[in-house]
Amino acid sequence: MTSVRSVLQVENIRKSFGDKKILKGLSLSVEKGEVKVIIGPSGGGKSTLLQCINFLVVPDEGEVWLEGKKINHAKKRELYAYRQQVGMIFQDFNLFDHLNALENVQIGLVRVKKLHKTEARERALAELQRVGLADHVLQYPAQLSGGQKQRVSIARALAMDPKVMLLDEPTSALDPELIGEVHAVIKDLVANGMTMLMATHQIGFASVLADEIIFMEDGYIVEQGPPAKILQQAECARTKEFCAKITSPSADS
Amino acid sequence: MEELFYIQNEVLPNLLQGLWISILLIVPSASMGLLIGILVGALRVYSSGLVAVLANLYVALFRGIPLVVQLFIWYFGLPYFGIYFSPYAASVVGFSLCSGAYHSEYIRGALQSIKKGQTLAAQALGFTKLEMLRSIILPQALRRALPGCGNEIIYLIKYSSLAYMVTCIELTGKGKILAAHSFKYTEVFLIVGAFYLALVSVASLLLRHLENRLSLPGFELHKA
Repeated sequence: MTSVRSVLQVENIRKSFGDKKILKGLSLSVEKGEVKVIIGPSGGGKSTLLQCINFLVVPDEGEVWLEGKKINHAKKRELYAYRQQVGMIFQDFNLFDHLNALENVQIGLVRVKKLHKTEARERALAELQRVGLADHVLQYPAQLSGGQKQRVSIARALAMDPKVMLLDEPTSALDPELIGEVHAVIKDLVANGMTMLMATHQIGFASVLADEIIFMEDGYIVEQGPPAKILQQAECARTKEFCAKITSPSADS
Repeated sequence: MEELFYIQNEVLPNLLQGLWISILLIVPSASMGLLIGILVGALRVYSSGLVAVLANLYVALFRGIPLVVQLFIWYFGLPYFGIYFSPYAASVVGFSLCSGAYHSEYIRGALQSIKKGQTLAAQALGFTKLEMLRSIILPQALRRALPGCGNEIIYLIKYSSLAYMVTCIELTGKGKILAAHSFKYTEVFLIVGAFYLALVSVASLLLRHLENRLSLPGFELHKA
């Protein structure tokens, strides 16, 4: 399991909320430049897993390693330093509502990375340009479309120079016609070698980008492998059933 | 004619003096009250254990006991324990602590109205808790709390008139002395009332101006 090249490694993560076991001992690793996509039914623990990885939800058990270094999340300083290196994209964007697009991207650089304001501003502008929002830098979240908000949130994460990005259903809250612009930005990241772990229901998109697809249900990893195998020749009956449903022409993708 | 002369030469100068004392009571009390309110409000939302219990106890006490009684305790009660406050200091302390208790309720409500996603996003970027509170949560919460806190400041302007009960002779105190001397209760207190109305009007205008200045897309007042 241990790999020298693995950027992110997760071992035996368990999490319960009350009596309800959400994650029942999950392990996975993502290597440099690799894209892994998690699929599976809603409520299967995808979001919780991603939030456990950067300790937004503290797992009951399990270990997380970044570039071979085990993260001790009880040490605040270590936790904050680790989170800076892990970019997180949320389903509902979570832009800071009181800041415009530029300030949203800039604030982490100023307050967390302690960059000088002019330097942070330049970097933020560059990132916003990269996601195609150079013309919207002074707009507030309330004035942006869903697709634009998600692109700002990607720029915000990128500005921190993350070693790996966690994407939690980045297009699930978007109108179908806005999904394309966010997908284009994610594709561009992958083309530039970003390491990623992404949960999504967009199976067509996943199959193009993913090096490996992980099928997760009921707190377990049921099966994982290259997209062609998981989507067409899955070993496990449950994976087959799920993939047949979401890849059938009637499915909304 | 003689009456007008009396009002011009005796009443107005004295009341203006009182008004000045009132302003000297209100401005520091409002500022400190707001600071206490922010601190206590944040502690009530984000702390746990003994600190949270103490913060809640503070609010229960200072909202639960009549302000006049609090002022009497500060001014007449504490000397019993060897602590002496001037009338002015006792009033400012009393007003600040009472006002802070009310402010903390508005702040608490505003803090709780901030969506969880805002904290998640800040944490995911590596913000420390304090930094997150300072640059993400409070700027949003204070905008939401502003109408309530403004209300409390307007209240404070009026309950500052209780200071004369502990011999800090401000606007109302001056009015009472003048009226008792001249028996012109109606005239004197009409003027006193007009002065308070003017103070409150100016404060309302300033607060409205502040609200407009801090208004952002997504945080504006929605006019139905």
